[in-house]
Amino acid sequence: MDLAPTISTQSLTRRFGELVAVDNVDLRVAPGQFFGFLGPNGAGKSTTIKMLTGLLAPSSGRIEILGLDLERNPVEVKRQIGVVPEGMALFGRLTGSEFLNFAGRMYGLDRETAAKRTAELLDFMQLADQPKKLVADYSHGMQKKLAMAAAVIHGPKVLFLDEPFEGVDAIAAGTLKTMLQGMIARGATIFLTSHVLEIVERLCSHVAIIHQGRLVAQGSLEELRAGVEAHTPVATRNSSDDGSSPSGEKLTLEQIFLRTVGGTRRAERELSWLG
Amino acid sequence: MTELDHMSNRRGQLTAIAWLRWRLFVNSLRSSRGVLELISRIVISFAFAVGGLGGGVGMAVMASIFISEGKPEMLAVLLWPVFVFWQVFPIMATAFTNNPDSTDLLRFPLSYRSYFLVRMAYGAFDPVTALVGLWSLGILAGVGFAKPAVLPWTLLVLLLFAAFNLLFMQMTFAWVERWLAQRRTREIMGVLFVLLMLSFQLIGPLMGHFGKRARPDVQRFMDVFVPLQGVLPPGLAADAIAQAVLSRLMVGLSSLLLLCAFVLIIGYFLHVRLRAQYRGENLSEVAAVSALPRDRSLRPGWSLPGFTAPVAAVFEKETRYLMRSGPMLLTLIMPIFVLVIFRLGPMNSARHTGFPFARTPDMAFPSAAAYTLLILTNLVYNSFGGDAGGIQFFYASPVRFRDIALAKNLTHASILAIETVLAWIAVSVLYGPPALDVTIAALTGLLFAAPVNFLAGNLLSLYSPKKLDYSSFGRQRAAQVTVLISFGVQLFVVGVGVGAFWVGRHYGNFWIASAILLLLAAISLSAYGMSLKRIDDLALARRETLVAELCRA
Repeated sequence: MDLAPTISTQSLTRRFGELVAVDNVDLRVAPGQFFGFLGPNGAGKSTTIKMLTGLLAPSSGRIEILGLDLERNPVEVKRQIGVVPEGMALFGRLTGSEFLNFAGRMYGLDRETAAKRTAELLDFMQLADQPKKLVADYSHGMQKKLAMAAAVIHGPKVLFLDEPFEGVDAIAAGTLKTMLQGMIARGATIFLTSHVLEIVERLCSHVAIIHQGRLVAQGSLEELRAGVEAHTPVATRNSSDDGSSPSGEKLTLEQIFLRTVGGTRRAERELSWLG
Repeated sequence: MTELDHMSNRRGQLTAIAWLRWRLFVNSLRSSRGVLELISRIVISFAFAVGGLGGGVGMAVMASIFISEGKPEMLAVLLWPVFVFWQVFPIMATAFTNNPDSTDLLRFPLSYRSYFLVRMAYGAFDPVTALVGLWSLGILAGVGFAKPAVLPWTLLVLLLFAAFNLLFMQMTFAWVERWLAQRRTREIMGVLFVLLMLSFQLIGPLMGHFGKRARPDVQRFMDVFVPLQGVLPPGLAADAIAQAVLSRLMVGLSSLLLLCAFVLIIGYFLHVRLRAQYRGENLSEVAAVSALPRDRSLRPGWSLPGFTAPVAAVFEKETRYLMRSGPMLLTLIMPIFVLVIFRLGPMNSARHTGFPFARTPDMAFPSAAAYTLLILTNLVYNSFGGDAGGIQFFYASPVRFRDIALAKNLTHASILAIETVLAWIAVSVLYGPPALDVTIAALTGLLFAAPVNFLAGNLLSLYSPKKLDYSSFGRQRAAQVTVLISFGVQLFVVGVGVGAFWVGRHYGNFWIASAILLLLAAISLSAYGMSLKRIDDLALARRETLVAELCRA
């Protein structure tokens, strides 16, 4: 059965002057998917996620979230999604508890529910120890956890995460992963960008790769693997210049990614003046 | 590496840093509000040029008169303002400069000497240095005109005095930066600084107040202060020149040597601080762990009867931000202080001199109310500045921007209401209760002026945002476009208010003023209401500028 997508874009394009940062992207993310959105630096990942969450206007194209046109129903869409944007969007001069309370009420929770969930989330994220500490004084990892807590306080159906594991220690990352997997198990959809391909490979069921603003691959990990293998000559597949494993083993997401975007490890060949 | 290589390397680095400053200046004009910003800069540069040239001419004339009339010791009267302006203005108005954080440069292989030079160069190329430089040139010209023979000596003294001022300014900044590096000390410093500024403002009125009663304490204070200033750098510089004018070069030389000693001492204190920075001190607060106990009690957010949950949430957030900002709170109590100052100073002496308030003390309340609104413009005209990265949260949340703007304006209106009540009480205590008709006229005036300011403030907050840190003090201002436009709006609002009061006064009935202002209030409230409806579209149209401006590091 082909379910209506939770997230879909049609010819999504964003230009900054002459630069086309996102070029005719057609995305489809089905309900309940843990979706990884990958790309090299400057490929257009953050621009795309900003457009999907209403933080940036597309130059052209259409975005539908949960069947709703984002441009026509921005408030209704935002009510049902959670976002951890690139800059985390925190209010530095509130305490963690005040910020979560504030976020809950902004998403329409009543005062008691917001307060109850705030306490639960602070406990879950191990942020309850320092109730008087301002967000500005939190460490980077603590801020990430708080941003994540604020993004889920209203129980969103779709969660957008821009580099959620960047600067987060292994313990905190474990906490976040547990929470995200729990959300997926309960039917939520998660759209995530990350440069840590091992995490994406472990968490995500589906992946899209954007390169120079264009979507160059999209599908389940197996579909991507099959696609890459089909387009790679056997001789190349067996070589190890992109860090691939010996022939016969499954390609890792890193190998798929490198081959899809045409990246090779060339530092050895160049910059010969480096000590 | 040879010494020559080192020098060439240092020259290259300093050139690169000079280029960096230039590019920062040029790039600051390339924002979406670049043209307006450029115009604002031209206007402000013009004001600086007028202040510098006008002050310089004034200083030249006065210095020449002092020397010609045989009172060269009076040069201290000119050099003290130079010193005070040089030190105080950069703290109050660093928005006019584009200095990057010099500690950011430490990642590069700068020698300590280069680092020291860079810090000095930052001070030397500030607009304030140019301005007081013109004043000093004026003093030099005035002395040279009256007594050409001491021109080289005066030049030497003034150069040393300039070096002292540069070092002192940098030392102050370096130490203040060290104390401001941590949030708690930062807020304490902010409070202390404002108290210091206020106490300076109180000196004049207090002296005037007690002077009338011929208190011997004040005379004793003056007896101590006048000789004391003579051993401080501005007094020493003045004395060095004065002694040369009186042909007592050896005495002048001793003053110059004392001034040199000050330069060396201040230079040493600056060196201590810069050396610590250069060695990579870490003042991060991230690792600090709070010893406070776990707080597991549920604390629901605020409820605002008649308003939606998001409006109440933003209102609560705004209030908490303000309550945690020592500098902002102190700014907000300024109107009460001003009333006290007026009571002690001009108002007190006005009873004998015909100062307008003396004949009409009722005008104290409208004036205080107007000043209260003026103080609020800091908040109203850049209402998203303190949100910084939080602006993205507003855009990502399912809340209309009109509700956010309304909540922010409600906070501003609440502050205005509280301050107006406090001002009324203060006026009643200090000058006697204002008449009912004047009180009502002042309140209707606020009812007219506040929506006008909120309307303009909301628009400028979207069109010309600037990131602010509510916890730091004095080193940030709104965008210059905002400053200029808000100045225009205040002129309009105050002009209308004064006009209405003038009409009331002319007919001997302030109820007429109330009626006029009430009518205008109805118009301004309608205009505000209509503007709120357009805020959502405007906020969407301006989202990239807002996010880019407020989320930048």
